[in-house]
Amino acid sequence: MLSALILVPLVAAIVVGFTKSGQTARTLALSTAGLLFVWTLWLLFQFDLSDTGLQFSEYLTWAEPIGLSYSLGTDGLSMPLLILNALLTGVVVYSSKANTPRASLYYALILLVNAGVAGAFLAQNLLLFVLFFELELIPVYLLIAIWGGEKRGYAAMKFLLYTALSGILILAAFLGVAWLSGSFSFDYDSISTENLPLRAQLILLTVLLVGLGIKIPLVPLHTWSPDAYVEASPPVAILLGGILAKLGTYGLVRFGLQMFPNTWSVIAPGLALIGAISVMYGSLNAIAQNDIKRMVAYSSIGHMGYVLVAAAAGTDLSVLGAVAQMVAHGLILALLFNLVGIVEDKVGTRELQLLNGLMNPVRGLPLVSGLLVMAGMASAGIPGLVGFAAEFIVFQGSFPIFPIPTLVCILSSGLTAVYFVILLNRTCFGKLNNELAYYDRLSWSERVPALVLSAIVLFLGIQPNWLIRWMEPTATMLASTLQPTQEIVAQNVTQR
Amino acid sequence: MSHLFSQSAWLLPCYALLGAILALPWSPGFIRKTGPRPAGYINAIMTFTAFGHSLLALVETWNQPPQALSFAWLNAPGLNISLDLEISTVALGACVLITGLNLLAQIYAIAYLEMDWGWARFYSLVGLFEAGMCLLVLCNSLFFSYVVLEILTLGTYLIVGIWYNQSLVVTGARDAFLTKRVGDLILLMAVVALLPLSGTWNFTELTAWAKTADLDPTLATLLALALVSGPIAKCAQFPFHLWLDEAMEGPYPATILRNTIIVSTGAWVLIKVQPILALSPLGSSVVVAVGAATAVGASLISIAQIDVKRVLSYLTSAYMGLVFVAVGIGENHAALVLLLTYAIAMALMVMSTGGIVLNNITQNLTQYGGLWSRRPLSGISLIIAGLSLIAMPPLGGFWSLVEISDALWQSRPLLFGVVLAVNGFVAFSVTRLFGLMFGGKLTDFTRRSPEGLWLLVLPMMLLAGFALHLPLLLAQWQLLPDWASLNRFVAVLMTWSSLAGIGFGALVYLNPNWEKPVRLNPQALQDFFAYDFYTPQLYKATVVFAVDRISKLIYWVDRYIVDGTVNLVGFATLFGGESLKYNTTGQSQFYILSIVLSVAVFVILASFPYLSQFATIGF
Repeated sequence: MLSALILVPLVAAIVVGFTKSGQTARTLALSTAGLLFVWTLWLLFQFDLSDTGLQFSEYLTWAEPIGLSYSLGTDGLSMPLLILNALLTGVVVYSSKANTPRASLYYALILLVNAGVAGAFLAQNLLLFVLFFELELIPVYLLIAIWGGEKRGYAAMKFLLYTALSGILILAAFLGVAWLSGSFSFDYDSISTENLPLRAQLILLTVLLVGLGIKIPLVPLHTWSPDAYVEASPPVAILLGGILAKLGTYGLVRFGLQMFPNTWSVIAPGLALIGAISVMYGSLNAIAQNDIKRMVAYSSIGHMGYVLVAAAAGTDLSVLGAVAQMVAHGLILALLFNLVGIVEDKVGTRELQLLNGLMNPVRGLPLVSGLLVMAGMASAGIPGLVGFAAEFIVFQGSFPIFPIPTLVCILSSGLTAVYFVILLNRTCFGKLNNELAYYDRLSWSERVPALVLSAIVLFLGIQPNWLIRWMEPTATMLASTLQPTQEIVAQNVTQR
Repeated sequence: MSHLFSQSAWLLPCYALLGAILALPWSPGFIRKTGPRPAGYINAIMTFTAFGHSLLALVETWNQPPQALSFAWLNAPGLNISLDLEISTVALGACVLITGLNLLAQIYAIAYLEMDWGWARFYSLVGLFEAGMCLLVLCNSLFFSYVVLEILTLGTYLIVGIWYNQSLVVTGARDAFLTKRVGDLILLMAVVALLPLSGTWNFTELTAWAKTADLDPTLATLLALALVSGPIAKCAQFPFHLWLDEAMEGPYPATILRNTIIVSTGAWVLIKVQPILALSPLGSSVVVAVGAATAVGASLISIAQIDVKRVLSYLTSAYMGLVFVAVGIGENHAALVLLLTYAIAMALMVMSTGGIVLNNITQNLTQYGGLWSRRPLSGISLIIAGLSLIAMPPLGGFWSLVEISDALWQSRPLLFGVVLAVNGFVAFSVTRLFGLMFGGKLTDFTRRSPEGLWLLVLPMMLLAGFALHLPLLLAQWQLLPDWASLNRFVAVLMTWSSLAGIGFGALVYLNPNWEKPVRLNPQALQDFFAYDFYTPQLYKATVVFAVDRISKLIYWVDRYIVDGTVNLVGFATLFGGESLKYNTTGQSQFYILSIVLSVAVFVILASFPYLSQFATIGF
């Protein structure tokens, strides 16, 4: 059942790649994404909430001598991300321009990325994960380098080098873990770091975290991402920030927390600090931007810090918050990039100094402005929208363990409000320039992705139970493996 | 007795919310055929329904114990958040006030925004506010109080920004949002920090917990300060008071709500968390100090303003300051009564001046004059509003202010002095407002100034009648302080302070022989008040400056240090490759040389331990 999530997009990518007409390619890609989305939804309804372990597992021996097996499975950590992947792929395909040049290649690459990401989320074997992790590298490089903006070459190369390095580091860490622990298989369940000396564990975990930190991205390993996000076309930016970045955070929980339960609590205070700094750093940088897309890019870096703080804290609530924040961030970022893309497309600029008065109901973009207000506020953590639900769980879960970093995060969400107010005041408010304001009207098909995403953001914000119920058993299970951290909690509570 | 209406009180916020949602299709122009007006009518009908419902529910719960309702919202490990509602008489009374004032404001807005194109957005936001406020007074949970306050912060941003194409509106909306947001976030910190300590966010349980809680004093103080900061920002208290002044750029009908019940949301939450504040003596003192300072400062500033709406906004801050004082000393009942009498009086005051601003085109007080002959109804309303705001028997404000003063008289004479002075200042300020608008000679702006549309006048007159009857109602509801135990001396003093304020005000502003505009000596002192204690400059020089500079600095670091290092590495690699390529000369000797050299280096490195051993033996 799970293989379909990898094979269908792979096969579809090949078919799409050979189609002649762009329209056919688009239709095919869109129906594939739709099929995948329906399929993941169906899996979700089959998902057993009482089971904390893996579900729908599949196992095939592949290259036994090197310990590689085709082992798939999903749990409460990967299931929501799979749905996000399928949904956002649909959004990416749908919101791509109908007249994209070399359309068949473009859509084929997007489907390839989808397959790679789904494989990485599903893999239950370290080598298989790396394989899928690397599979998305080249397609994304091409997506930026061919369909990107002005400085696409620079941005794409930076992305390629960084991500390749990240892949190598992750692979090195995995190999180290397997060899040092004397395991012959790379399957997740047969790998254990418990018997390794603490120092070896620390070194391996650090290497792994640097690798994942590049992907997430965490400060100071982030510099590829603003360039890549800005230079990529809006749909590709959604792909990058909404889905690919989640590979890093997924790895953080899956490999960092789950594979190194002993060492995790040792480095957790440092990680929480890095997380808090990331949040602050991203927000402050976003305030200083003049380009709305770059602002959103830095905002994304900031929001990833919450995931790190929550994962570091490692309580059942905070791990839940970390997973919820991954999904929430994916949805909101996709919405923001989509809207910013529409603004750039219609108005022809992303400069704050040039944008003005888009809320004008007659000649502006009133609906886009309204949704932009909502997306910005969702990102800033206004209650009633999904961002708040996730962030609040993060705050409440992390506070007992790391009070100061949590408070810094709360404070930084105030800075989030600052840059979104700057963005909204300049973009939506103000006087529309009557000489220049002859913008094309928005067609309904252009509105659909933003409307769908907004509806989800609003719905999950009002009913967060629908978001977290899938993640809860796994999050609790993950947190319970972190014995030392739990003891710290117990100590803190008794001290009070 | 059946509990049909009180059991279904959770519908009250839903009506308004439904109205807000139904108005949306008109906003970006999905529905163009009908024009935007149906959006307003739908909302008015919804509000009327909510008003009727809350009134019936109030009658039902009269003298009944509060009922509790609970809806599960979030179930996570160790975190079960449920929306607890407490259907009490006080809460339903507040709902009646909220929906009633909303209804009047919405009718008023039909006339005031007659030609406006932002109807749908305006009514939708008013509906959101009404829903939020009803939910806030009904809910019995600190968490949801925070949620509502935060959503209303966003609402303030949007409703102040209704006329978004004017630059002052844009900055006003921005400042209102950010100021309130800062307060809300500090409140959020308290909400997050409180749960591990108390294990609950339910106000009833929190009150019980606070009675027995044994907190570290520093922690209790920090907690109290964080809890207070939300209300400080909401109620426009020093040093977060500027936003209310700037928010006056928004439309007048929204001001009716903002100056009365929206700012009161902060005070409501403050009253609810008062038991926790009481855990820390310093926390309570801060509440009193902030309230007293704002009351005195803001009432003085209001005297120096020449913009009608700004006069009203600083009076709002001043009265919220008095509420803070009352809560700080634990007089929650008095604070609630003051909120009620104040809300009615201030709403009437805003309405009576709004119609004048609408068709005299100016908000500048110095350009008014002689309106008494033109608009007697507005004038009478303003008089009634002013008298019921201050301590003037037998109107509403008298009773609530006297109740607070009575509590202060024995224990804190200094604070009593503050209340006495503020009452006098406010009386002076209101008389000045009346004098400048209605007294004196007609000006070019006021010569043609008939009373407005009946939709403006009707809500105003209804409210004026209600304000006049308020003391009777208070007596009926047994909310008046007990006359027998009341300190008559205090009551007389308060009355005299009002009379003194009115007298001086009349002497200066209703006296044609007194030269206008009035100049205060020295000029610097007048500027100090007129320019709002130079708070905008203070903000600019501190917080705004710091955030701006730090963010620019960080971005510089990001570009040139963090990214710069990366680019340097890239550049060095490129440069290295570029220069090394000249080594590929094709001469075999060169290759052999490099091989030999590398091998030599490798051998030396590999045998380094032995060599060093050898070296030590040698020496």
